[in-house]
Amino acid sequence: MNMNTISEFLSYPFIQRAVIATLMVGILCPFVGNFVILRKMSFFSDAISHAAFAGIAVGAFLGIDFSLSSIIFSILIAVLIAFLSERTKLSHDTVIGITFSGAIAGGMLVIGMMKGYRADIFSFLFGDILAITNIDLLLLFAVSITSITTLLFFLKPFLQITFNRDLAKVEGINVRFFEYLLFILIAIIVTVSLKIVGIILVTSLLIVPAAAAKNLASSMKHLFGLSCFFGLISGITGLIVSVYLNTSSGPTIVLTSIGVFFLTMLKSKKIL
Amino acid sequence: MIALNVENLCVKADNRHLIENITFTVDEGSIVAIIGPNGAGKTTLIKAILGLIPYECGAVTLFGQSLKYADSHNKFGYVPQKLEFDRTFPLTVAELLKFTVPPIYAFPFFRRKGEEKHISELLEVVGAQKLSNRHIGSLSGGELQRVMIAKAIVNDPKILFLDEPASGVDIEGQERFYDLVRRLKREKGLTVILISHDLNIVYRFADNVICMNRKLVCSGRPEEMLTDEVIRSVYGEMMGAYIHSCHEHD
Repeated sequence: MNMNTISEFLSYPFIQRAVIATLMVGILCPFVGNFVILRKMSFFSDAISHAAFAGIAVGAFLGIDFSLSSIIFSILIAVLIAFLSERTKLSHDTVIGITFSGAIAGGMLVIGMMKGYRADIFSFLFGDILAITNIDLLLLFAVSITSITTLLFFLKPFLQITFNRDLAKVEGINVRFFEYLLFILIAIIVTVSLKIVGIILVTSLLIVPAAAAKNLASSMKHLFGLSCFFGLISGITGLIVSVYLNTSSGPTIVLTSIGVFFLTMLKSKKIL
Repeated sequence: MIALNVENLCVKADNRHLIENITFTVDEGSIVAIIGPNGAGKTTLIKAILGLIPYECGAVTLFGQSLKYADSHNKFGYVPQKLEFDRTFPLTVAELLKFTVPPIYAFPFFRRKGEEKHISELLEVVGAQKLSNRHIGSLSGGELQRVMIAKAIVNDPKILFLDEPASGVDIEGQERFYDLVRRLKREKGLTVILISHDLNIVYRFADNVICMNRKLVCSGRPEEMLTDEVIRSVYGEMMGAYIHSCHEHD
């Protein structure tokens, strides 16, 4: 790609917005994704994205802004999962499975109550980065700054809890508070990232770059740096490829990051 | 001075007593061993004192203050029996300690004055200075125990709890480990409460022993408490014979 092609590519406002969104999500999702993979919570992020779908359906039914309704719904489901996991003897994945299917069933029921086919709701299933608006960008920016600052500032307790909950508790960390905080942050980040790759693939934005980084990382500092680097590279490369090959941007970004993941597997010799 | 006072402590699960009316005191700067057969409630007792599980009745006071009102932060160090963590966690020994060093609420990837020196001194105390850049998951059982001791004493706790700290470690490693515990007691004035199945270790390293089997069976100096009769009542006939033969060899 020569310089003229790049400048032509970047001259379209929708491409500019897509690039900015990709840069933000490329850092934000892998950053929190490190906690998702270290705590083996990928099913949780999947449940949250599906809860967001139910929130979107409820928003459409009540005539509320989709972003607002999906964020509120995701936070409610995240808190419910945390609460049930803590207060019942059910395993974490059973709790997630129940809330996950409950959210999807609720969402489908609400959609069924509306007249006609709602393309605006179903567009969230696969996402469309090229349809990002300035308001979406502002929301993404606000969430990125707040989330990354919070995660960095509380990184010590978050990592202590991730390493071993009991030890963190003995060392005086309010484990319950930080677990709820992490769950809520993941819920918000997943929901604001939905427009990029959609409900079905959003979990991969969190997990794949972080998993690729874990293949090579020699320390936690390295892990956080590498995961954000892989998120950025996969996002921008996937976006460019999707524009030039005229393919869907979300799946192309995800497949690019999976390609990066396999390269790191080869480099780390983790394939048996 | 009494460091820890446990009074009539009981823990229940599914309407069944896991421990019942446990009462004992621990003097400041002493090493106290808790012994008892599997399922006797030793780990439950430690976890209840540490506040990791709720207790049904009784009271725990730390230096005269009820634990319900005292801030337990930085007062306890704990090395659990089985440390459950993801072995593929790309966490180095130095990072693990760095994340434990106060201030807890601060951006951790920035260098702090004196932090690295503090960490290297800690690793030196436990004889693990060469492990600084190793991944936690790559450590052997003995190495991990030393690092976990370093982590447990990062914040200068008043009492160190060790739950079968040397299980799975070879005999030489066990000796080094308990020498370290004794040195920490001597140099830092630490009070140590440890669970052990090794009665030989208890005889050699503990100032006091607490024997339990859901209830308190004995409490006092090992040489006075660990009689054939007590051992039989705690562990059963076979163990009594074992102790008897140990005494004969002594």
